[in-house]
Amino acid sequence: MINIFIDDKPFKTKEETTVLKAAEEAGIAIPHLCFHSAFPPEGSCRMCLVEIEGLPKLELACSTQVREGMKVSTRSEKVIDARKGVLEFLLAEHPPDCPICDKAGECKLQDYYEEYGLFDNRFRESKEKKQKNIKIGKNLILDQERCILCTRCVRFLRDITKTRELGVFNRGLYSEINTYNDEPVDNNYSGNLAEICPVGAITDSDFRFKTRSWFLKEGESICTLCSRGCNIFIESHKGFARFPVPKRVYRIKSRENHKVNGFWICDLGRYGYPYLDEERLDKICVNNGKGNLTWQECIVSLADEIKKLHSAKKASRIAIILNFWLSNEELFLFKKIFVDDLGVKNIYFVDSPEGENDDFLLTSERCPNKRGAQEIGFDLKPLDSENLMNKTDLLLIFGLPVSDPNNLVEIKALFENVKTKIYFSSHSDELCSLADIVLPTVLIPEKEGSLTNVDGVVQKFLQVLEAPGECRPEWEVFVDLGRELEININYYKQFNTPEVVLKEMRKEISFFENKSE
Amino acid sequence: MKEKILSKHFDLENFYKIDVYLQKKGYEAVKKALNEKTPENILEEVKAANLRGRGGAGFPAGVKWGFVPQQVDKPKYLCVNADEGEPGTFKDRYIMSHDPHLLIEGIIIASYCVGIHTAFIYIRGEYEAVALRLEKAISEAYKNGFLGKNILESGFDLDVYVHRGAGAYICGEETALLESLEGKRGNPRLKPPFPASIGLFQSPTVINNVETLSNIPSIILKGAEWFCKKGLPEDGGTRIFGVSGMVKKPGIYELSIGTSLKDIIFKHAKGMAEGKKLKAVIPGGLSAPILMADEIDIKMDFDSLVDANSMLGSAAIVVIDEDTSILDVLKVVTRFYSHESCGQCAPCRIGSSWINKIVRRLCDGKGKNEDIDNIIRLASNILGNTLCPLGDAAAMPILAIIKKFREEIESYVSN
Repeated sequence: MINIFIDDKPFKTKEETTVLKAAEEAGIAIPHLCFHSAFPPEGSCRMCLVEIEGLPKLELACSTQVREGMKVSTRSEKVIDARKGVLEFLLAEHPPDCPICDKAGECKLQDYYEEYGLFDNRFRESKEKKQKNIKIGKNLILDQERCILCTRCVRFLRDITKTRELGVFNRGLYSEINTYNDEPVDNNYSGNLAEICPVGAITDSDFRFKTRSWFLKEGESICTLCSRGCNIFIESHKGFARFPVPKRVYRIKSRENHKVNGFWICDLGRYGYPYLDEERLDKICVNNGKGNLTWQECIVSLADEIKKLHSAKKASRIAIILNFWLSNEELFLFKKIFVDDLGVKNIYFVDSPEGENDDFLLTSERCPNKRGAQEIGFDLKPLDSENLMNKTDLLLIFGLPVSDPNNLVEIKALFENVKTKIYFSSHSDELCSLADIVLPTVLIPEKEGSLTNVDGVVQKFLQVLEAPGECRPEWEVFVDLGRELEININYYKQFNTPEVVLKEMRKEISFFENKSE
Repeated sequence: MKEKILSKHFDLENFYKIDVYLQKKGYEAVKKALNEKTPENILEEVKAANLRGRGGAGFPAGVKWGFVPQQVDKPKYLCVNADEGEPGTFKDRYIMSHDPHLLIEGIIIASYCVGIHTAFIYIRGEYEAVALRLEKAISEAYKNGFLGKNILESGFDLDVYVHRGAGAYICGEETALLESLEGKRGNPRLKPPFPASIGLFQSPTVINNVETLSNIPSIILKGAEWFCKKGLPEDGGTRIFGVSGMVKKPGIYELSIGTSLKDIIFKHAKGMAEGKKLKAVIPGGLSAPILMADEIDIKMDFDSLVDANSMLGSAAIVVIDEDTSILDVLKVVTRFYSHESCGQCAPCRIGSSWINKIVRRLCDGKGKNEDIDNIIRLASNILGNTLCPLGDAAAMPILAIIKKFREEIESYVSN
């Protein structure tokens, strides 16, 4: 560790650090546009110029290494003038598109002008005209006039995806970003380009004109569309007072986590969010003519059926179909009740169909918690409907949010040969009209818990969306059921949050003991 | 000046052919260097000669060579900067077309000194005929055993390649030259790291101007002391001054460093043409801040010009007469830099064109006096804030022209 001074305050910092990083760690923000932690410093935007005592010219914070005793000033008159100068240059040729630009509210040029600029426009000439609406990828639109040539997009495609679809063409003021020979940006990480663009030059057509960024509420969550468990932000809003909208989620953004996904997320996870809002089941459906029921009534009636079969030593007439979207806590509670307490053996898993992995983040497994199920000790048997037909009195199914037609066919056939069918589902599908009782469940962003990713990283998640209608999280249902079954009431009484469940898991299962995520 | 170093044989017919070259002690310097001297000797000699770079920056060649690490596990490279992009400069083309073997000797000796076995001559694309002549000379050198493997039985190998540029002034900047040579866009790199440690293909690289290297054979044959006497003690040798503009005899003039600018214009170039009066002189290429008529009594060496807030640069002297509008000069300057800006960094990319747009408006008669202040402000915001020296090279002449000729410019604006 060495000693440096930033704005006359002393700080300790690691030796091999840049001034920019050291200042960031010290809580001092230095404006920058072309720098991104994922790439080596570029030095072209000139926004991060700072004054270093003893050096005649201003130096770049992004690429200057700290040295013992270095005295940096981020707010001296020279620095403030230089920042204003650079901003003025960038804004001179920048189109006044803010009213129609999606980036407004999260645009670095806007932010820096507000903080370091606030000067009048003195550009009286004609701005350069360039193309404003080029479709450069399946979800990407390029506006060359807004581009400030930070080249983050070019470097992303050069260093991260190594596909190099974008390049800089021409020279000087005529420089522009474009694709080569009209070949579009075509890789599974293209959505990250709209995120890393500091201005509205590359925008996401999925988000285009849908809402303003300042209406969005940001929630930290975990992607569930494969078993990588990339950290994401779910951005949502409920609509407006006089104009509520059924859709809540507008956008998914990546969240930095260097143990899991680094800086990025893949396009499957970025654009796969519609299932959170579409075709949701939010009411209890009773199809066996018993009228409307409440959750309490359903749980009591289910517990009764189970108790009857259990005491008649007919646990073999109970069958459960689970999935790998349930959280660690839910799988643990389920195992406690059905395997340990009741001795049920007919437990099967339905899986989302596998896909191709992409040698980076996307795994071929397309479910978030298969590893969790393994570590909790389940025998991951795929559905064997032959074994259950005409031998099952009570079937509980936990449906997949993104259902696979193959599973549907097999389960429909099974339904015809089972006495009582209880379907737990987050979405409306064909099974909803065929099951006896359909109980609406929440999705991962609507509850609390933890998931285990493909590499064994246990990640906690919090609730970031409201549960629709009557939907309830499975862990709560299991706790209620555990109490109702009266086999081990005192044990289940303690679990008033998933946090408590995880604590219990750490005591009982050595895999979870050391996971302090 | 008695004996010329560089342009001694420019008037000899066919001197670019090796058989003619060899008749006049050709390649004696190479023989002496490889047979009688060690690399350390040569480095000491070049340092003692105080040979400063002739491309524009004036960095001492010996010091630059000394920065290259001795032992590395990477190959080392020499890049000869033959881009000659600085407007007003045309000296290197004379050396390369009339005395290419002098340059080749310089390349061989420099490479031997630093431990380099591959050299590239980066020549501006526009010099097609010159490049062909260079290539012919190089192939003659190979045939005669002065290039290739085991040169003159010394055990030293060297290959030399000619690489043509494609029309970018920025590729005369050393790191942009390296990028272009590597096949990429000619964008300058951040310094540090410097080319002496991380250069061409991430390996230690020396970059020298054509004229700088062409002085090496004389330093080897006649010694550092002789070389220094030809110029000034801290600034050895001669310069090939290129005089253009409204003079009776424009052309190249090899003269001692420290020769008076007034003498160069009025004695050697025979004074103003067509009876015109002198208005201003650009002393060292377009990037050198302009001098007014009463400032030309000055010695042409690096330090004297720095003291006058200008620079010796590429020793290209452009003489401007009273009938040339200074606004036209300003227009040419701003047009050049906005056209040649590589576009990487905002101040130069946008600033140089913004200033050019304002000047064009002034030339169209639609300007105001506040535009002049605006230009000063913008040029000052470019100065010191850019990724490479092109920004400074653009800002300094603009500021100088406006400072020294403000009245004239204002008179255009108010009419």
